[in-house]
Formats: sequence, structure tokens, C-alpha cells
Amino acid sequence: MESFAQRRRRDLIVAFVLAALAACAPFVIKDVYVQNIMVLTLMYAALSQAWNILGGYCGQISLGHALYFGLGAYTTTLLFTKFGVLPWFGMLGGGTISALIAMALGYPTFRLRGHYFVIATIVIAEIGLLLFHNWDWAGAALGIDIPVRGDSWLRFQFTRSKLPFFYFALVFCCVAWLITWWLEDSKWGYWWRAVKDNPDAAESLGVVVFNSKMGAAAVSAFLTAIGGAFYAQFVSYIDPESVMSFQFSLLMALPAVLGGIGTLWGPVLGAVILIPLTELTRSFIGGSGRGVDLILYGTVIVLISLARPEGLIGLFSRKRKEVSR
Amino acid sequence: MTINRRNVVLGGAAVAALLPLAARAQTSEVVIGVIYPLSGASAQIGVDAQKAFATAAELINEKHDFDLPLARGEGLPGLGGAKVRLVFADHQADPQKGRAEAERLITQEKVCAIVGTYQSSVAVTVSQICERYSIPFISADNSSPSLHRRGLKFYFRAAPHDEMFSTAMFDFFDAQKKKGQKIETLALFHEDTIFGTDSSNAQLKLAADRGYKVVADIKYRANSPSLTAEVQQLKAADADVLMPSSYTTDGILLIKTMGELGYKAKNIVAQDAGFSEKALYDAVGDKIPGVISRGSFSLDLAAKRPMVGKINDMYKAKSGKDFNDYSSRQFMGLIVMADAINRAKSTDGDKIREALVATDMPGEQTIMPWARVKFDEMGQNNFADPVLLQYNGGKFVTIAPPQAAVAEAIWPMP
Repeated sequence: MESFAQRRRRDLIVAFVLAALAACAPFVIKDVYVQNIMVLTLMYAALSQAWNILGGYCGQISLGHALYFGLGAYTTTLLFTKFGVLPWFGMLGGGTISALIAMALGYPTFRLRGHYFVIATIVIAEIGLLLFHNWDWAGAALGIDIPVRGDSWLRFQFTRSKLPFFYFALVFCCVAWLITWWLEDSKWGYWWRAVKDNPDAAESLGVVVFNSKMGAAAVSAFLTAIGGAFYAQFVSYIDPESVMSFQFSLLMALPAVLGGIGTLWGPVLGAVILIPLTELTRSFIGGSGRGVDLILYGTVIVLISLARPEGLIGLFSRKRKEVSR
Repeated sequence: MTINRRNVVLGGAAVAALLPLAARAQTSEVVIGVIYPLSGASAQIGVDAQKAFATAAELINEKHDFDLPLARGEGLPGLGGAKVRLVFADHQADPQKGRAEAERLITQEKVCAIVGTYQSSVAVTVSQICERYSIPFISADNSSPSLHRRGLKFYFRAAPHDEMFSTAMFDFFDAQKKKGQKIETLALFHEDTIFGTDSSNAQLKLAADRGYKVVADIKYRANSPSLTAEVQQLKAADADVLMPSSYTTDGILLIKTMGELGYKAKNIVAQDAGFSEKALYDAVGDKIPGVISRGSFSLDLAAKRPMVGKINDMYKAKSGKDFNDYSSRQFMGLIVMADAINRAKSTDGDKIREALVATDMPGEQTIMPWARVKFDEMGQNNFADPVLLQYNGGKFVTIAPPQAAVAEAIWPMP
């Protein structure tokens, strides 16, 4: 039997090797279209990792993370287009604002449990969407077109090259993973899992349930907003529908749920399968206009959830169990 | 897989033409990218668009006796008779996906030009990518006025934008006033996405410039389950003209709610969208005889220009529908682009751009009620006159502009 400490060390080594391999990928894969898919995959892996902190470890299922994603995107974009603040500062600003808002919203909503909490998150994100839809200074429904003035790391803009975005997304994904890895074995990590399993029992053992939830929400929202800021720079145009719509909330939850909720590797695994599948089916069979791509996409998700209800990560752990036997 | 897509692209009829094509050298085809929503809520628009573009490609690639650029010969004579091949991509109404698809079409499919996109928000990102790769882009059916004002060199729009559409309405009001009709107050009623926002902004500005009083400016959430409160406000304002900018379902709900609350608008002049959809008139057409909608196309033109009817028949054979506001603009988008590529005698982006800048196509050589196709320095065609259509006796008749009108407007609404 492998000890917990051994497993953690091995996870770290595996992550390092995978990240190193991913970092070399652009030297082999030069096609911008495939690079675009890799950027999105890494971004959703990181976002899903962030979602997993609150949804997976702490057990507070949020379907409103699009709000934090949108706040990140809007904060950087507005600061840059209206005040000339560089996106790097905007990114941190957006993260901080999102974390604060997550805690402010958590104050009333964390008193809700189960489905009631999920509904509250959906509704709050929809309110955010409506507000941005009607906020003229922030472009309202017209959105904001970020002016691109040539390649620059300072302004984080690149006209044709995908590589800077790729490496940023890779670092972002690694940071999100490392934070999760570190939290897993911290006081917070144990608190969160206790809260997820049974909040009343956790409370009786001295876990401050409310504070645990607030902590998880803040970390999760901060990372999600960084992703939103990155997305705005990557696409260089935002409007309420394209950064704050409900589908983003789903796209952040789906990889974690599919890969294995509340696990270290689930979000990465889910994103690596889901995102290329969405992109490739759309590009290569979506042109017919018959929706075959979406049928295929849906079928794969249904099959996976039927075969592995605990997530794809189950494929690996079972193998491991057999080996150790 | 590629063959499958070509089938769809060119339609069954053109498959036979592809066989000799494949045998010839690669230079004998010109690849043009077409980006539309082919899945999701607006998929039907994209599917109809495919048929419209296929019709245009058929006209260019085969011999037809129409006074339309490139119809008479086979292929593009400027490139040794090269045929036009279309590659379709699905953007699912998502700006990010539109951007990724544009990049794929340019780098993988090697398209020399792109036409799109229905949703204005997607046109923003697709045109950005085209600009970065120096590939000309034609906005076939986007009507947001902000699009051509971004200083892009490779952006072109042959069709009218929302301000031109609204100007046509106010020109009509001015003309009616001269005839002694009373038009003083207006009520704007618009949905909250990019379409309704742009439309109402243009209308507010025009009303102020021309001395009309806006007594109600009501913005509502698109796909709203109830419009009762909004209609109450409209009823209280009771303006001389009600000007809705609504998609189909909201338009139907508006008319139904007006009926329930006993509000009969004195006149309705609508900003296209829902009010040019057959579904709306099937549902509530009997409640609004005499409603006027703007449009960019009218089949009435066929009476004066027979080729419009014949080309419409070709499209109808593929799609089972008549040309509408969108499909007619999509058709013209490809014709204008192919005409420029032909004159450029090259598939080089910069050369095609120069040819587009030099475009000067007389209105009679199009299927539209436009005076001509000639782009200004921002890539907008200011000669694209919109039409006003009045719904009367179960069908639409064109009442403006004069070159397309077949009847006098009935004003006020019966």
C-alpha cells in the first residue's frame, strides 16, 4: 500500500512531467487551429479546477461561476479601454473584486443547502448578466472591442501568434492545480471535505462551516476571474452573452463532473476530453448544419456518465487498486 | 469527410461538376469561407444561408443568362475560368468560436476571402481575424452600425446598416407629414440585445434631429414571458406611431398582449426582424392589417427586373422558401466578393481588397432595390437603399423607395 504522502509526491512528479510535455507541444504542433484548441483546453482545465475547489472539495455546487468569469473579463477590459490600465493589473483587480463579491454573496447564500444553494447561484449570475446587458458605460449589449495595436507582452496582445496565450494558459492551469494540490493537505482542505460530507458533524467537531465555505468561494472566484481576464485578452472582444451566459457556468462544472468531482486530476482529465471533442466535432462535422456534432457530443457525455458515474478518474483508480492487490 | 462537406456546400447538382474539377490543377478553384450559425438557436438562419450561398455559387460557376456579374460565363474569367468553392463553418453564435473558425478557414482551408455571419457580435471577432491575416471580409447580413466604424481595412458591407434602415422610416414619416398627415409622437419598443439597442439608439437620434417627440422608450428583456407592464406603458403613451424592434416570439407576444389590454396602435412601423417573419403573420397577422416593416429586399422587384424572380426560383428549388431579407443579402454578399476576386485576377488578400475598394456595381445588376454597390472609405455601401413594406390583404407590398415601390402607402393604418 502506498501512503498518502507517497501518493502526493507522485502526483507532484506526474504533474511536473505532464506540464513539461505540454510546454514542448507547440514545437511539434505548429497549426494555429490546434494551438487554439490547446489554449482553450488548458483554460477550461484551470477554470474547472477553480470550480472544483468550491464545488468538489467543499461540496457547494455553483452554477453561477459565469458571474466571476464575466467580472474578470469586464474588469480588465474596462480598466484597459477606459483608463489605460495594463491587463496584468486588471487581471489581479478583477480577481480581487470577484473574490470580494463571492464572499458578499456567500454571506446570505451559504445559509442555503443543496438544491436551494444551486438555484441561488444561477439566479445571481443571471442578475449579473442583466446588469451588464443594461449598463451603457460598460458597452451594454454592444460589448467592448479591445483595440489591438500589435504584439506586446505588456498589453498582453498578440495578433497572430498563439504561443504567448498558450504559455499563459499553461502556467494558469499549473498554478490552479498546485493551489488545489497544496490545499488538499492543508487545514482548509480537511475542513472543506468535512463540510461536504456532513456539515452538522463537522460543526460539532469544531470546524467553522460558514468560514470554510467563504474561504473556498473566495479562492474559487479569484481564479475564475483570472480566467475571464485571460479570455477577454485572448478573444479581444467581450459582450455580456459571450462572457457571462449560463453556458460558461456549465462549461466550468462539466469537466470536473465528468472527470471526477472533488479529485485533483478530475478537472484536467475532463477538460482534455471535453474541449477538443467540442471543438473538433463542430469544425469537422458542424458545417453540415444538421447538428450531428452536438448529438455526438451529447452521446459521449451520456455514455461516460453511465459507465463511470464517479467520473473518468475512476478508470485510473481501479487499475491502481488491482495493481496494489 | 471533405467530400461530404462539399456535397452540402455545392448542393447535389454541383457534385457532378466537381469530378472534372478535381482532375484539373488546384489553381482552377477559388476557395471562399462562409461562417454562419449552423447549430443552436439560430441554426435555421445558417441552413437557409447555405442554400443562398450555394445558389450564388451555382450562378457564378455555371452559365446563366442574367444581367448579374459573373452569371453569363462559367467560373471567374479573370482567373482563367476558376470555379468558386465554398467552405462552411459553424460559429454557434459565439464570438470566440467565430474567431477560431475564421482562423481555421484562413490557415487550413486557405480561403482567400470570408463572408458572414448573421450575429453582429461574431462579425466583430471574425473581421478582426481577417484584418490580422489581410483577408477581405464581407458582412453580408450584419446591420450593427458600429461594425464599419472600427477603422478596419479589410471590412466591407454592401447591405444597409440600422441607421440607414431607420433613416428610411423617418424619410417616410417626413413624406407623410408633407401630405398633411399628423405624425408628432413616437413610441419606441425594443429588445435588449445588440439589435434592439442599436436600433433604438439610431431612432432616438433621428427623432431628435427631425423634431419628433419620443413619448415612450421601452426596453424589454428578449424572450420575455410577459410584456403586460410594457404594453400598459405603450397604451398610456398612445403615440402616433409605435416602432417595435423585436424578434419573432416577442413580436407575437407584443401584438397578443396589445389585444388583451385593448390597445390598438394608431400606426406600427417595425424594424424588420420578427415583423418580416411569416410565423408572426400566421399567428397574429389578422390583428395588425396595414403594419409597415422595413426590409432590405422585396420580391416585388421581380415585376420590374425579371431575373430577380428567376433567381428566386433557383433558391426556392433548393430551400423551399422565397428569398427573404437575410437570404437575399447573403446571396449578394458572395456575388460582390466573387466579382472583386475576378477583377483582382488574383487570390491575394491585398489585391482583392483593392478590387473591392474599386467596386462600382449598378443597382440593376443586383437582385436588391439598391441604387448601386460602391464602398466608402470605411467599407460601407451608402447606396444600399432599404425598402418599406406594408402588410395588406395577407401579403406584403413595397411602398418605398420609389425605384422598388409598387403601391401607395395606406396611412393611417386601417
